[in-house]
Amino acid sequence: MAEHTVASFDEDLRQISRLINDMGDLAGSMVGGSTRALLESDNALAQRVVSDDAIMDARQRELDDRAITLIAKRQPMADDLRHVVGSIRMAGDLERIGDLAKNIAKRVGSVGVSTAPRDLTHSIDSMAQLVLIQVQAVIQEYTVGDATALAKLRNDDERIDVKYTSVFRELLTYMMEDPRNITACTHLLFCAKNLERIGDHVTNIAENAYYVLTGTQLPANRPKQDETAMSAPAA
Amino acid sequence: MKPMLSTDLNVADTTVEKAKIEVKNLNFYYGQSKALKDINLSLPERSVTAFIGPSGCGKSTLLRVLNRIYELYPKQSAEGEVLLDGKNILDRSQDLNLLRTKIGMVFQKPTPFPMSIYENIAFGVRLYEKISKAEMDSRVESALKRAALWNEVKDKLNASGQSLSGGQQQRLCIARTVAVKPEVILLDEPASALDPLSTAKIEELIDELQADYTIVIVTHNMQQAARVSRQTAFMYLGELVEFDRTEKIFTSPREKRTQDYITGRFG
Repeated sequence: MAEHTVASFDEDLRQISRLINDMGDLAGSMVGGSTRALLESDNALAQRVVSDDAIMDARQRELDDRAITLIAKRQPMADDLRHVVGSIRMAGDLERIGDLAKNIAKRVGSVGVSTAPRDLTHSIDSMAQLVLIQVQAVIQEYTVGDATALAKLRNDDERIDVKYTSVFRELLTYMMEDPRNITACTHLLFCAKNLERIGDHVTNIAENAYYVLTGTQLPANRPKQDETAMSAPAA
Repeated sequence: MKPMLSTDLNVADTTVEKAKIEVKNLNFYYGQSKALKDINLSLPERSVTAFIGPSGCGKSTLLRVLNRIYELYPKQSAEGEVLLDGKNILDRSQDLNLLRTKIGMVFQKPTPFPMSIYENIAFGVRLYEKISKAEMDSRVESALKRAALWNEVKDKLNASGQSLSGGQQQRLCIARTVAVKPEVILLDEPASALDPLSTAKIEELIDELQADYTIVIVTHNMQQAARVSRQTAFMYLGELVEFDRTEKIFTSPREKRTQDYITGRFG
Protein backbone atom coordinates (compact mmCIF):
# COMPACT_ATOMS: atom_id res chain seq x y z
CA MET A 1 0.00 0.00 0.00
CA ALA A 2 1.15 3.53 -0.74
CA GLU A 3 2.57 5.51 2.15
CA HIS A 4 0.23 7.82 3.97
CA THR A 5 0.82 11.54 3.33
CA VAL A 6 1.31 11.96 7.09
CA ALA A 7 4.15 9.54 7.89
CA SER A 8 3.32 9.35 11.61
CA PHE A 9 -0.12 7.98 10.68
CA ASP A 10 1.56 4.96 9.08
CA GLU A 11 3.70 4.54 12.17
CA ASP A 12 0.59 4.59 14.40
CA LEU A 13 -1.04 1.92 12.23
CA ARG A 14 2.14 -0.19 12.31
CA GLN A 15 2.23 -0.03 16.11
CA ILE A 16 -1.28 -1.46 16.21
CA SER A 17 -0.32 -4.24 13.80
CA ARG A 18 2.75 -5.01 15.92
CA LEU A 19 0.59 -5.35 19.02
CA ILE A 20 -1.80 -7.72 17.26
CA ASN A 21 1.17 -9.81 16.18
CA ASP A 22 2.61 -9.81 19.70
CA MET A 23 -0.73 -10.82 21.18
CA GLY A 24 -1.11 -13.53 18.54
CA ASP A 25 2.33 -14.95 19.35
CA LEU A 26 1.59 -14.81 23.06
CA ALA A 27 -1.81 -16.50 22.57
CA GLY A 28 -0.10 -19.32 20.64
CA SER A 29 2.52 -19.77 23.33
CA MET A 30 -0.10 -19.72 26.11
CA VAL A 31 -2.35 -22.27 24.39
CA GLY A 32 0.63 -24.52 23.57
CA GLY A 33 2.08 -24.08 27.07
CA SER A 34 -1.15 -24.73 28.94
CA THR A 35 -1.96 -27.93 27.07
CA ARG A 36 1.60 -29.21 27.37
CA ALA A 37 1.52 -28.42 31.10
CA LEU A 38 -1.77 -30.31 31.33
CA LEU A 39 -0.57 -33.35 29.41
CA GLU A 40 2.78 -33.52 31.17
CA SER A 41 1.58 -32.37 34.61
CA ASP A 42 4.14 -29.58 34.44
CA ASN A 43 3.26 -27.14 37.21
CA ALA A 44 6.10 -24.74 36.50
CA LEU A 45 5.00 -24.36 32.90
CA ALA A 46 1.40 -23.89 34.06
CA GLN A 47 2.57 -21.08 36.36
CA ARG A 48 4.31 -19.38 33.46
CA VAL A 49 1.10 -19.45 31.42
CA VAL A 50 -0.82 -17.96 34.33
CA SER A 51 1.63 -15.10 34.64
CA ASP A 52 1.69 -14.56 30.87
CA ASP A 53 -1.96 -13.64 31.05
CA ALA A 54 -1.04 -10.37 32.79
CA ILE A 55 1.18 -9.52 29.82
CA MET A 56 -1.68 -10.32 27.43
CA ASP A 57 -4.01 -8.01 29.36
CA ALA A 58 -1.44 -5.21 29.31
CA ARG A 59 -0.98 -5.59 25.54
CA GLN A 60 -4.71 -5.36 25.01
CA ARG A 61 -4.96 -2.21 27.11
CA GLU A 62 -2.09 -0.68 25.17
CA LEU A 63 -3.76 -1.56 21.87
CA ASP A 64 -7.07 -0.08 23.01
CA ASP A 65 -5.33 3.14 24.03
CA ARG A 66 -3.48 3.42 20.75
CA ALA A 67 -6.52 2.61 18.64
CA ILE A 68 -8.79 5.07 20.46
CA THR A 69 -6.14 7.79 20.25
CA LEU A 70 -5.63 7.10 16.56
CA ILE A 71 -9.36 7.37 15.85
CA ALA A 72 -9.54 10.64 17.80
CA LYS A 73 -6.47 12.14 16.14
CA ARG A 74 -6.67 10.84 12.59
CA GLN A 75 -10.30 9.93 11.86
CA PRO A 76 -9.22 6.95 9.73
CA MET A 77 -11.28 5.99 6.68
CA ALA A 78 -11.90 2.89 4.56
CA ASP A 79 -9.27 0.16 5.06
CA ASP A 80 -7.50 2.21 7.74
CA LEU A 81 -10.77 2.42 9.66
CA ARG A 82 -11.43 -1.30 9.24
CA HIS A 83 -7.89 -2.02 10.33
CA VAL A 84 -8.20 -0.04 13.56
CA VAL A 85 -11.68 -1.19 14.53
CA GLY A 86 -10.90 -4.78 13.47
CA SER A 87 -7.75 -4.72 15.62
CA ILE A 88 -9.72 -3.67 18.69
CA ARG A 89 -12.07 -6.60 18.17
CA MET A 90 -9.31 -9.10 17.39
CA ALA A 91 -7.44 -7.98 20.50
CA GLY A 92 -10.58 -8.72 22.52
CA ASP A 93 -10.67 -12.27 21.18
CA LEU A 94 -6.94 -12.79 21.72
CA GLU A 95 -7.30 -11.60 25.30
CA ARG A 96 -10.12 -14.11 25.83
CA ILE A 97 -7.95 -16.86 24.36
CA GLY A 98 -5.35 -15.89 26.97
CA ASP A 99 -7.96 -16.18 29.73
CA LEU A 100 -9.06 -19.62 28.55
CA ALA A 101 -5.46 -20.83 28.31
CA LYS A 102 -4.87 -19.53 31.83
CA ASN A 103 -7.93 -21.43 33.01
CA ILE A 104 -6.52 -24.65 31.52
CA ALA A 105 -3.19 -23.96 33.20
CA LYS A 106 -4.85 -23.42 36.59
CA ARG A 107 -6.42 -26.89 36.40
CA VAL A 108 -3.07 -28.63 35.89
CA GLY A 109 -2.53 -29.15 39.62
CA SER A 110 -6.00 -30.58 40.18
CA VAL A 111 -5.81 -33.02 37.29
CA GLY A 112 -2.24 -34.06 38.08
CA VAL A 113 -2.93 -35.29 41.62
CA SER A 114 -5.81 -37.48 40.62
CA THR A 115 -3.97 -39.19 37.72
CA ALA A 116 -6.08 -39.03 34.60
CA PRO A 117 -6.26 -42.07 32.36
CA ARG A 118 -3.46 -41.75 29.78
CA ASP A 119 -5.77 -42.81 26.94
CA LEU A 120 -7.89 -39.81 27.65
CA THR A 121 -5.10 -37.27 27.46
CA HIS A 122 -4.27 -38.56 23.97
CA SER A 123 -7.55 -37.35 22.56
CA ILE A 124 -7.19 -34.01 24.39
CA ASP A 125 -3.69 -33.85 22.95
CA SER A 126 -4.90 -34.16 19.37
CA MET A 127 -7.66 -31.63 19.97
CA ALA A 128 -5.10 -29.21 21.45
CA GLN A 129 -2.87 -29.67 18.40
CA LEU A 130 -5.74 -28.69 16.11
CA VAL A 131 -6.54 -25.62 18.20
CA LEU A 132 -2.92 -24.54 18.40
CA ILE A 133 -2.53 -24.76 14.62
CA GLN A 134 -5.63 -22.59 14.20
CA VAL A 135 -4.43 -19.96 16.71
CA GLN A 136 -1.05 -19.70 15.05
CA ALA A 137 -2.43 -19.70 11.52
CA VAL A 138 -5.07 -17.02 12.00
CA ILE A 139 -2.64 -14.22 12.86
CA GLN A 140 -0.17 -15.43 10.27
CA GLU A 141 -2.77 -15.37 7.47
CA TYR A 142 -3.96 -11.96 8.62
CA THR A 143 -0.41 -10.63 8.59
CA VAL A 144 0.24 -11.87 5.05
CA GLY A 145 -3.22 -10.66 3.99
CA ASP A 146 -4.60 -13.98 2.72
CA ALA A 147 -8.40 -13.58 2.90
CA THR A 148 -9.09 -16.90 1.18
CA ALA A 149 -7.03 -18.77 3.77
CA LEU A 150 -8.94 -16.95 6.53
CA ALA A 151 -12.30 -18.03 5.12
CA LYS A 152 -11.09 -21.62 5.02
CA LEU A 153 -9.59 -21.40 8.48
CA ARG A 154 -12.91 -20.20 9.85
CA ASN A 155 -14.63 -23.26 8.41
CA ASP A 156 -11.92 -25.51 9.83
CA ASP A 157 -13.27 -24.78 13.29
CA GLU A 158 -15.74 -27.51 12.46
CA ARG A 159 -12.96 -30.08 12.96
CA ILE A 160 -12.38 -28.80 16.50
CA ASP A 161 -16.09 -29.07 17.24
CA VAL A 162 -16.13 -32.66 15.99
CA LYS A 163 -13.11 -33.45 18.13
CA TYR A 164 -14.71 -31.83 21.15
CA THR A 165 -17.85 -33.91 20.74
CA SER A 166 -15.80 -37.09 20.68
CA VAL A 167 -13.70 -36.05 23.70
CA PHE A 168 -16.89 -35.25 25.56
CA ARG A 169 -18.37 -38.67 24.86
CA GLU A 170 -15.15 -40.39 25.76
CA LEU A 171 -14.93 -38.56 29.09
CA LEU A 172 -18.47 -39.57 29.95
CA THR A 173 -17.58 -43.16 29.28
CA TYR A 174 -14.54 -42.98 31.57
CA MET A 175 -16.58 -41.45 34.33
CA MET A 176 -19.26 -44.13 34.03
CA GLU A 177 -16.67 -46.86 34.03
CA ASP A 178 -14.99 -45.73 37.22
CA PRO A 179 -16.31 -43.00 39.51
CA ARG A 180 -12.76 -42.35 40.72
CA ASN A 181 -12.12 -40.76 37.35
CA ILE A 182 -14.80 -38.16 37.89
CA THR A 183 -12.66 -35.39 39.43
CA ALA A 184 -9.95 -35.60 36.81
CA CYS A 185 -12.39 -36.06 33.97
CA THR A 186 -14.47 -33.08 35.04
CA HIS A 187 -11.40 -30.87 34.99
CA LEU A 188 -10.42 -32.31 31.63
CA LEU A 189 -13.91 -31.69 30.36
CA PHE A 190 -13.54 -28.02 31.28
CA CYS A 191 -10.17 -27.99 29.57
CA ALA A 192 -11.69 -29.49 26.42
CA LYS A 193 -14.50 -26.95 26.57
CA ASN A 194 -11.92 -24.17 26.93
CA LEU A 195 -10.09 -25.47 23.87
CA GLU A 196 -13.35 -25.54 21.97
CA ARG A 197 -14.06 -21.94 23.04
CA ILE A 198 -10.57 -20.93 21.93
CA GLY A 199 -11.49 -22.34 18.53
CA ASP A 200 -14.58 -20.12 18.51
CA HIS A 201 -12.48 -17.04 19.27
CA VAL A 202 -10.15 -17.99 16.42
CA THR A 203 -13.24 -18.10 14.21
CA ASN A 204 -14.18 -14.59 15.35
CA ILE A 205 -10.68 -13.37 14.62
CA ALA A 206 -10.78 -14.96 11.16
CA GLU A 207 -14.10 -13.24 10.43
CA ASN A 208 -12.83 -9.85 11.61
CA ALA A 209 -9.56 -10.25 9.75
CA TYR A 210 -11.46 -11.18 6.59
CA TYR A 211 -13.57 -8.03 6.92
CA VAL A 212 -10.51 -5.86 7.55
CA LEU A 213 -8.82 -7.23 4.42
CA THR A 214 -11.78 -7.29 2.04
CA GLY A 215 -14.42 -4.87 3.36
CA THR A 216 -17.04 -7.61 3.08
CA GLN A 217 -18.42 -9.94 5.72
CA LEU A 218 -18.26 -13.69 5.52
CA PRO A 219 -21.72 -15.30 5.42
CA ALA A 220 -23.30 -15.49 8.88
CA ASN A 221 -23.75 -19.25 8.85
CA ARG A 222 -20.93 -21.69 9.00
CA PRO A 223 -21.04 -25.42 9.71
CA LYS A 224 -21.37 -26.30 13.41
CA GLN A 225 -20.52 -29.74 14.69
CA ASP A 226 -20.61 -29.41 18.46
CA GLU A 227 -23.27 -31.98 19.28
CA THR A 228 -22.57 -32.33 22.97
CA ALA A 229 -25.83 -30.66 23.88
CA MET A 230 -27.57 -33.57 22.12
CA SER A 231 -25.28 -36.37 23.26
CA ALA A 232 -26.12 -36.75 26.92
CA PRO A 233 -25.99 -40.47 27.76
CA ALA A 234 -29.29 -42.31 27.93
CA ALA A 235 -30.37 -42.72 31.53
CA MET B 1 -11.00 1.01 -14.92
CA LYS B 2 -14.58 1.88 -15.73
CA PRO B 3 -16.10 4.13 -13.08
CA MET B 4 -19.06 2.89 -11.15
CA LEU B 5 -22.06 4.58 -12.65
CA SER B 6 -25.41 5.48 -11.25
CA THR B 7 -26.88 2.36 -12.75
CA ASP B 8 -24.67 0.38 -10.40
CA LEU B 9 -25.79 2.36 -7.39
CA ASN B 10 -27.29 0.12 -4.82
CA VAL B 11 -30.39 -1.16 -6.52
CA ALA B 12 -32.55 -0.78 -3.44
CA ASP B 13 -31.85 2.97 -3.47
CA THR B 14 -32.67 3.61 -7.09
CA THR B 15 -35.75 1.47 -7.25
CA VAL B 16 -37.32 3.09 -4.21
CA GLU B 17 -36.18 6.63 -4.87
CA LYS B 18 -36.94 8.64 -7.92
CA ALA B 19 -34.02 10.41 -9.58
CA LYS B 20 -34.39 14.18 -9.26
CA ILE B 21 -31.42 14.99 -11.45
CA GLU B 22 -29.83 12.74 -14.03
CA VAL B 23 -26.51 13.69 -15.56
CA LYS B 24 -25.87 11.96 -18.88
CA ASN B 25 -22.65 11.93 -20.88
CA LEU B 26 -21.71 15.35 -19.58
CA ASN B 27 -18.54 17.05 -20.83
CA PHE B 28 -17.47 20.50 -19.75
CA TYR B 29 -14.90 22.88 -21.17
CA TYR B 30 -13.08 25.91 -19.86
CA GLY B 31 -12.10 27.22 -23.30
CA GLN B 32 -10.16 24.35 -24.86
CA SER B 33 -9.52 22.59 -21.60
CA LYS B 34 -11.82 19.71 -20.78
CA ALA B 35 -12.79 19.86 -17.12
CA LEU B 36 -15.45 17.14 -16.96
CA LYS B 37 -15.17 13.92 -18.89
CA ASP B 38 -18.26 11.94 -19.73
CA ILE B 39 -19.99 12.20 -16.37
CA ASN B 40 -23.00 9.98 -15.73
CA LEU B 41 -24.80 9.94 -12.44
CA SER B 42 -28.24 10.07 -10.95
CA LEU B 43 -29.14 12.11 -7.85
CA PRO B 44 -32.06 10.68 -5.89
CA GLU B 45 -34.84 13.01 -4.82
CA ARG B 46 -34.92 14.32 -1.23
CA SER B 47 -31.57 13.07 -0.28
CA VAL B 48 -28.08 14.50 0.18
CA THR B 49 -25.38 13.73 -2.36
CA ALA B 50 -21.77 14.74 -1.68
CA PHE B 51 -19.11 15.41 -4.30
CA ILE B 52 -15.60 14.87 -3.02
CA GLY B 53 -12.17 14.90 -4.60
CA PRO B 54 -8.91 16.86 -4.62
CA SER B 55 -8.76 20.48 -5.78
CA GLY B 56 -9.27 20.77 -9.50
CA CYS B 57 -11.04 17.41 -9.82
CA GLY B 58 -14.17 19.02 -11.27
CA LYS B 59 -16.55 18.68 -8.34
CA SER B 60 -17.35 22.40 -8.13
CA THR B 61 -17.55 22.56 -11.92
CA LEU B 62 -20.12 19.78 -11.90
CA LEU B 63 -22.11 21.61 -9.22
CA ARG B 64 -21.98 24.81 -11.31
CA VAL B 65 -23.37 22.98 -14.32
CA LEU B 66 -26.42 21.87 -12.37
CA ASN B 67 -27.89 25.39 -12.31
CA ARG B 68 -25.95 26.67 -15.33
CA ILE B 69 -24.27 29.33 -13.24
CA TYR B 70 -21.15 28.78 -15.36
CA GLU B 71 -22.84 30.72 -18.13
CA LEU B 72 -22.10 33.92 -16.27
CA TYR B 73 -18.52 33.44 -17.45
CA PRO B 74 -17.23 33.54 -21.03
CA LYS B 75 -15.74 30.57 -22.87
CA GLN B 76 -17.29 27.95 -20.61
CA SER B 77 -19.47 25.34 -22.21
CA ALA B 78 -21.22 22.11 -21.37
CA GLU B 79 -22.32 19.29 -23.65
CA GLY B 80 -24.43 16.31 -22.78
CA GLU B 81 -27.61 16.26 -20.75
CA VAL B 82 -28.65 17.27 -17.27
CA LEU B 83 -32.22 16.15 -16.70
CA LEU B 84 -34.22 17.82 -13.95
CA ASP B 85 -37.36 15.72 -13.53
CA GLY B 86 -36.68 14.33 -16.99
CA LYS B 87 -36.27 17.69 -18.71
CA ASN B 88 -32.88 18.72 -20.08
CA ILE B 89 -31.84 21.96 -18.37
CA LEU B 90 -28.92 22.43 -20.76
CA ASP B 91 -31.45 22.96 -23.51
CA ARG B 92 -31.25 26.48 -25.04
CA SER B 93 -34.96 27.00 -24.44
CA GLN B 94 -34.54 26.61 -20.69
CA ASP B 95 -35.52 29.80 -18.81
CA LEU B 96 -32.48 30.47 -16.62
CA ASN B 97 -34.28 32.56 -14.02
CA LEU B 98 -36.87 29.87 -13.57
CA LEU B 99 -34.12 27.24 -13.40
CA ARG B 100 -32.34 29.12 -10.63
CA THR B 101 -35.48 29.41 -8.54
CA LYS B 102 -35.82 25.65 -8.79
CA ILE B 103 -32.16 25.03 -8.12
CA GLY B 104 -30.77 27.32 -5.42
CA MET B 105 -27.11 27.68 -4.53
CA VAL B 106 -25.13 28.57 -1.42
CA PHE B 107 -21.46 29.46 -1.73
CA GLN B 108 -18.36 28.89 0.32
CA LYS B 109 -18.15 32.45 1.55
CA PRO B 110 -21.35 33.80 3.09
CA THR B 111 -22.73 36.43 0.72
CA PRO B 112 -25.46 38.42 2.49
CA PHE B 113 -26.69 41.43 0.55
CA PRO B 114 -25.86 44.80 2.12
CA MET B 115 -29.40 45.19 3.42
CA SER B 116 -31.47 44.15 6.42
CA ILE B 117 -31.92 40.56 7.46
CA TYR B 118 -35.57 40.78 6.43
CA GLU B 119 -34.77 42.27 3.04
CA ASN B 120 -32.06 39.69 2.38
CA ILE B 121 -34.84 37.15 2.20
CA ALA B 122 -37.70 39.25 0.82
CA PHE B 123 -35.55 40.58 -2.04
CA GLY B 124 -35.32 37.28 -3.87
CA VAL B 125 -38.96 36.39 -3.26
CA ARG B 126 -40.09 39.72 -4.74
CA LEU B 127 -38.27 38.99 -7.97
CA TYR B 128 -40.53 36.06 -8.69
CA GLU B 129 -43.72 36.56 -6.74
CA LYS B 130 -46.08 39.37 -5.88
CA ILE B 131 -47.29 38.71 -2.35
CA SER B 132 -48.79 40.87 0.40
CA LYS B 133 -46.79 42.25 3.32
CA ALA B 134 -48.39 39.75 5.68
CA GLU B 135 -47.58 36.88 3.36
CA MET B 136 -44.04 38.15 2.99
CA ASP B 137 -43.66 38.40 6.78
CA SER B 138 -44.77 34.84 7.08
CA ARG B 139 -42.49 33.72 4.23
CA VAL B 140 -39.47 35.42 5.85
CA GLU B 141 -40.28 33.87 9.20
CA SER B 142 -40.70 30.37 7.83
CA ALA B 143 -37.48 30.64 5.77
CA LEU B 144 -35.54 31.80 8.83
CA LYS B 145 -37.07 29.00 10.87
CA ARG B 146 -36.20 26.50 8.17
CA ALA B 147 -32.61 27.73 8.31
CA ALA B 148 -32.59 27.45 12.13
CA LEU B 149 -31.85 31.16 12.42
CA TRP B 150 -35.22 32.58 13.51
CA ASN B 151 -34.62 32.46 17.26
CA GLU B 152 -31.33 34.30 16.90
CA VAL B 153 -32.60 37.12 14.67
CA LYS B 154 -36.35 37.53 15.28
CA ASP B 155 -35.80 40.64 17.41
CA LYS B 156 -33.48 42.34 14.93
CA LEU B 157 -34.91 41.69 11.50
CA ASN B 158 -34.04 45.24 10.47
CA ALA B 159 -30.38 44.91 11.42
CA SER B 160 -27.95 44.53 8.55
CA GLY B 161 -27.41 40.99 7.31
CA GLN B 162 -23.70 41.74 7.37
CA SER B 163 -23.79 42.36 11.13
CA LEU B 164 -24.33 38.66 11.77
CA SER B 165 -21.55 36.19 12.56
CA GLY B 166 -20.11 34.08 9.74
CA GLY B 167 -22.17 31.04 10.69
CA GLN B 168 -25.34 33.12 10.98
CA GLN B 169 -24.62 34.78 7.63
CA GLN B 170 -24.32 31.38 6.01
CA ARG B 171 -27.62 30.27 7.51
CA LEU B 172 -29.12 33.55 6.29
CA CYS B 173 -27.96 32.63 2.78
CA ILE B 174 -29.57 29.22 3.17
CA ALA B 175 -32.79 30.94 4.37
CA ARG B 176 -32.62 33.18 1.30
CA THR B 177 -32.29 30.14 -0.92
CA VAL B 178 -35.12 28.28 0.79
CA ALA B 179 -37.46 31.32 0.66
CA VAL B 180 -37.96 31.08 -3.10
CA LYS B 181 -39.10 27.46 -2.65
CA PRO B 182 -36.48 25.64 -4.66
CA GLU B 183 -36.53 21.91 -5.36
CA VAL B 184 -32.80 21.42 -5.31
CA ILE B 185 -30.18 23.14 -3.14
CA LEU B 186 -26.54 23.21 -4.23
CA LEU B 187 -24.02 23.80 -1.46
CA ASP B 188 -20.48 24.69 -2.46
CA GLU B 189 -18.25 24.20 0.59
CA PRO B 190 -20.93 25.75 2.79
CA ALA B 191 -19.11 25.28 6.08
CA SER B 192 -15.44 25.55 5.17
CA ALA B 193 -15.14 29.11 6.51
CA LEU B 194 -17.02 28.38 9.72
CA ASP B 195 -16.04 27.33 13.24
CA PRO B 196 -16.94 23.80 14.44
CA LEU B 197 -20.12 24.85 16.23
CA SER B 198 -21.46 26.81 13.24
CA THR B 199 -20.46 23.87 11.04
CA ALA B 200 -22.46 21.52 13.25
CA LYS B 201 -25.49 23.80 12.94
CA ILE B 202 -25.19 23.85 9.15
CA GLU B 203 -24.90 20.05 9.10
CA GLU B 204 -27.91 19.68 11.34
CA LEU B 205 -29.77 22.00 9.00
CA ILE B 206 -28.77 19.97 5.94
CA ASP B 207 -30.07 16.88 7.68
CA GLU B 208 -33.43 18.55 8.26
CA LEU B 209 -33.68 20.10 4.80
CA GLN B 210 -33.30 16.79 2.98
CA ALA B 211 -36.83 15.88 3.99
CA ASP B 212 -38.05 18.51 1.50
CA TYR B 213 -35.19 19.17 -0.90
CA THR B 214 -32.70 17.37 -3.05
CA ILE B 215 -29.33 18.54 -1.79
CA VAL B 216 -25.94 18.40 -3.43
CA ILE B 217 -22.90 19.36 -1.39
CA VAL B 218 -19.31 19.89 -2.46
CA THR B 219 -16.92 19.55 0.43
CA HIS B 220 -13.22 19.10 1.11
CA ASN B 221 -14.03 17.82 4.54
CA MET B 222 -14.44 14.08 4.16
CA GLN B 223 -15.80 13.57 7.63
CA GLN B 224 -18.45 16.11 6.73
CA ALA B 225 -19.34 14.24 3.54
CA ALA B 226 -19.50 11.03 5.56
CA ARG B 227 -21.75 12.65 8.16
CA VAL B 228 -24.25 14.50 6.02
CA SER B 229 -24.67 12.64 2.75
CA ARG B 230 -26.57 9.55 1.69
CA GLN B 231 -24.50 8.98 -1.42
CA THR B 232 -21.05 10.18 -2.35
CA ALA B 233 -19.36 10.75 -5.69
CA PHE B 234 -15.57 10.71 -5.78
CA MET B 235 -14.11 12.68 -8.67
CA TYR B 236 -10.58 12.89 -9.94
CA LEU B 237 -9.11 14.77 -12.90
CA GLY B 238 -12.54 15.52 -14.31
CA GLU B 239 -13.75 11.94 -14.09
CA LEU B 240 -16.35 10.38 -11.88
CA VAL B 241 -14.31 7.58 -10.33
CA GLU B 242 -16.86 6.07 -7.99
CA PHE B 243 -20.42 6.78 -6.93
CA ASP B 244 -22.06 4.77 -4.21
CA ARG B 245 -23.80 4.84 -0.88
CA THR B 246 -21.77 7.03 1.49
CA GLU B 247 -21.12 4.31 4.05
CA LYS B 248 -19.78 2.08 1.31
CA ILE B 249 -17.45 4.80 -0.01
CA PHE B 250 -16.02 5.53 3.43
CA THR B 251 -15.73 1.99 4.77
CA SER B 252 -14.91 -0.13 1.73
CA PRO B 253 -14.67 1.72 -1.58
CA ARG B 254 -14.30 -0.38 -4.72
CA GLU B 255 -11.75 1.76 -6.48
CA LYS B 256 -8.15 2.03 -5.34
CA ARG B 257 -8.08 5.72 -6.27
CA THR B 258 -11.02 6.39 -3.94
CA GLN B 259 -9.37 4.40 -1.20
CA ASP B 260 -6.08 6.25 -1.59
CA TYR B 261 -7.78 9.64 -1.57
CA ILE B 262 -10.00 9.14 1.45
CA THR B 263 -7.25 7.53 3.50
CA GLY B 264 -4.85 10.36 2.63
CA ARG B 265 -2.47 8.32 0.48
CA PHE B 266 -2.83 10.27 -2.69
CA GLY B 267 -0.06 11.09 -5.15
